[in-house]
Amino acid sequence: MKEQDLKVDFKEQQIILYAEKEDGSVSPVQTGSYISKNFIGDFYDYTAKINYEMTEKLKSGEISPICFFMTIEELTVAELASRAGLSKLKVRKHLNLKGFRKASVSDLVKYADSFNIPVANFFQLIKTREDKKWDPGYRNDLEKTESVMISQTNTNNPLIVETKIFHNTK
Amino acid sequence: MSIIPFNHTMAAHCESGAVTAQLNFHGLKITEPLVFGISSGLFFAYMKPPMMDFPMFVTRSMPGQIFGKFSKRTGVKFIRKTYKDPKEAENDLNALLDKNIPVSVQTDLFFMDYFPAWFRVHVNMHYVNIIGREGNKYFVSDSYYPEIAEIERDALMKARFAGGTMAPKGLMFYPVNVPEKIDMGNLIIKGIKATTFDMLKIPLPFLGVKGIRRFADKIVEWPRYAKDNEQLADKVLRIFILLEEQGTGGGGFRFVYASFLQESAKVLNNPRLNELSKEMLGIGDKWRELALAASKVSRSGEITREKLIGLGTLIREKADLEEVFFTRLRKEILNHK
Repeated sequence: MKEQDLKVDFKEQQIILYAEKEDGSVSPVQTGSYISKNFIGDFYDYTAKINYEMTEKLKSGEISPICFFMTIEELTVAELASRAGLSKLKVRKHLNLKGFRKASVSDLVKYADSFNIPVANFFQLIKTREDKKWDPGYRNDLEKTESVMISQTNTNNPLIVETKIFHNTK
Repeated sequence: MSIIPFNHTMAAHCESGAVTAQLNFHGLKITEPLVFGISSGLFFAYMKPPMMDFPMFVTRSMPGQIFGKFSKRTGVKFIRKTYKDPKEAENDLNALLDKNIPVSVQTDLFFMDYFPAWFRVHVNMHYVNIIGREGNKYFVSDSYYPEIAEIERDALMKARFAGGTMAPKGLMFYPVNVPEKIDMGNLIIKGIKATTFDMLKIPLPFLGVKGIRRFADKIVEWPRYAKDNEQLADKVLRIFILLEEQGTGGGGFRFVYASFLQESAKVLNNPRLNELSKEMLGIGDKWRELALAASKVSRSGEITREKLIGLGTLIREKADLEEVFFTRLRKEILNHK
């Protein structure tokens, strides 16, 4: 691969590739990410589709919030169980609404920590455009539009999150 | 504010990049390809672990082995520590930073929130150097980020103590003794011998060149694991990401290895390694062709068996090329005087 063949103009995500330079040396070249530049639309479409499907299932009671977040964060039952420090059997039970109703608050805190979300988000569906941490489908371009914004900030109490709703004047 | 004067540079791969930057900071001038090659980082494995929903392949050695093998082979002594108590891990990190000692830590990439959302996935094997702190935030030299990044304390703690497969357990390491004289030639020979052994001689059907062949044979079975065509397309696209963009330097580390062989030719004064470097560049180009073919297949609508057989044929070609290549390289290095 020659240096000139791999230059991609995409400053949002830079990577290092190794390539043959004009002097014959094989050395690092900083360039934009080909995949991010060319496939980011596909990524958002796919993420949005999964989000939509899972949200509908969640609203209809077909799945639990644990199943919802596990799917959109691309975790398996084994991986989630290991991250939350719970048995796989327990996690499987919590994937449907019936089992979820029996989950303890301490289990929910463990799940929330694993998903990096507030516990409160297991019981509400909100759009969080402002805070990238909590929205896998976050899009920069949406932030630029004038809209109502919702942000969530942790408090020292692990069960309480402060949710702010405000008018975005950007 | 306290930032250690640390030369931040991007690197192809997070672990070899973090180790290289640490070594340079401690006075050992060495490149990422040399660190990668000496620690025999190049590898191939194809497997379907029971805890995963989908088969996976890797083009490098196990996470942590670059640092471990480099240390063992060169005699560079690192302090390496994992923790049960996050508070103790935090206190140790802060104490080292306050002494102007940069510290490499293992993290879950998902929590490194300076990256864009699409880049952040739960992967527990992301290595970065922490090079300072101020109030509630830390300064991070991350091989995948163009500038020195900042991260909040809470996010870093979550990243260092995420559970799951290959959990970081607060792992941190930093060099404490770099030998004044290192016999680079001898280390290169050791590294090449180990890599050629790994690629050719391990008697397991899913490792090395045999692993590439297994990948070629098994890719037609991928639809069995996917719930629909869209998920399959996403998985096929990840072939491109894993080969080209997930910290490989392109071509599944083959270009980094070509660079290593080029440097090795100079150190060992062996022009035949230069020829082999050029050959490896050609093989890297073939891996890149496979990556591009996978990206096209992923966008081609329905992913048929014929399309996957086509990808399998391209993969098998790499196995044949690498079997010949690593056999020649092994012979060359075993005969090196």
